[in-house]
Amino acid sequence: MDASALARGFRLSTELVAGVLVGAAIGWLLDKWLGISPWGLIVFLLLGFAAGVLNVMRAAGVVRDPTVND
Amino acid sequence: MATDPIQQFQIVNLFPVAKIGNTEIAFTNSAAYMVAAVAVISIFLIAGTNSRSLVPGRLQSAAELTYEFVANTIRSTAGTEGMKFFPFVFTLFTFILAVNLIGLIPYTFTVTSHIVITAVLALSVFLTVIVYGFWKNGLHFFNLFVPKGIPIYILPLIVFIEVLSFLSRPISHSVRLFANMLAGHITLKVFASFITLLGGAGIFGIVGATLPLALVVALTALELLVAFLQAYVFAILTCIYLNDAIHPGH
Repeated sequence: MDASALARGFRLSTELVAGVLVGAAIGWLLDKWLGISPWGLIVFLLLGFAAGVLNVMRAAGVVRDPTVND
Repeated sequence: MATDPIQQFQIVNLFPVAKIGNTEIAFTNSAAYMVAAVAVISIFLIAGTNSRSLVPGRLQSAAELTYEFVANTIRSTAGTEGMKFFPFVFTLFTFILAVNLIGLIPYTFTVTSHIVITAVLALSVFLTVIVYGFWKNGLHFFNLFVPKGIPIYILPLIVFIEVLSFLSRPISHSVRLFANMLAGHITLKVFASFITLLGGAGIFGIVGATLPLALVVALTALELLVAFLQAYVFAILTCIYLNDAIHPGH
């Protein structure tokens, strides 16, 4: 169905953005607290991107979600 | 008529309720629409289950359909064990659906177009998953972050990524609902204001105004679908996340 394709597309894009945002937020906070700028942001932004991609692949069913029983 | 597409999201204080420190806590239009949504759901379900006839009437079959729909969603994603969360998921689904549908009526306020509302809903799911996960599985809950069959030398990296993926859930969960409602209502308002702007520009303007009018009608139908779909997506993701708390790792 067309509309559910729309919802699916929207879900995939938010999954990616959310991963990157969380990574950036954690990296920025670590930089601030530990004074290791800019390494926290660099490392956690990359990790967050990886997490976002993982989210997208799970949501799309490319990678089997280990937590979904079937 | 207000042509500002953002004005519809304005929070208006209706009357003060309490005062904490120097901050006044007021009963807002947002709160009023939430009360309205709860009242609509309550009336619908109470009236629907009142007759309890074996051959259901129209209202009763609608109420039963809602129950069956949510129950099937939970059973198919979180298994029968997930049914203990039925009240939680049913409340989330009906509340979001009612609030979205009420927001589609012209001149009303859409509660879910504010991220603070959707974020609290998503956080309640997130915290339920964490609390129930630790309560039921203890430290085995951490298995969620350790996928099976990963070589030991990249495991620490994977665990980091899994933890970040877990933490990103409430963000994507809340932003999806909020952004859909916000964007949909702004689009509707912008196209609707095109009609009045074009309509004021003589005979050609009136002919031209039929185009955005047709679009607004189509968009309203789409928004009706989005209102339902986003409530459903929110509920199904809640079930998927709760499933993690019930069976972490395998």
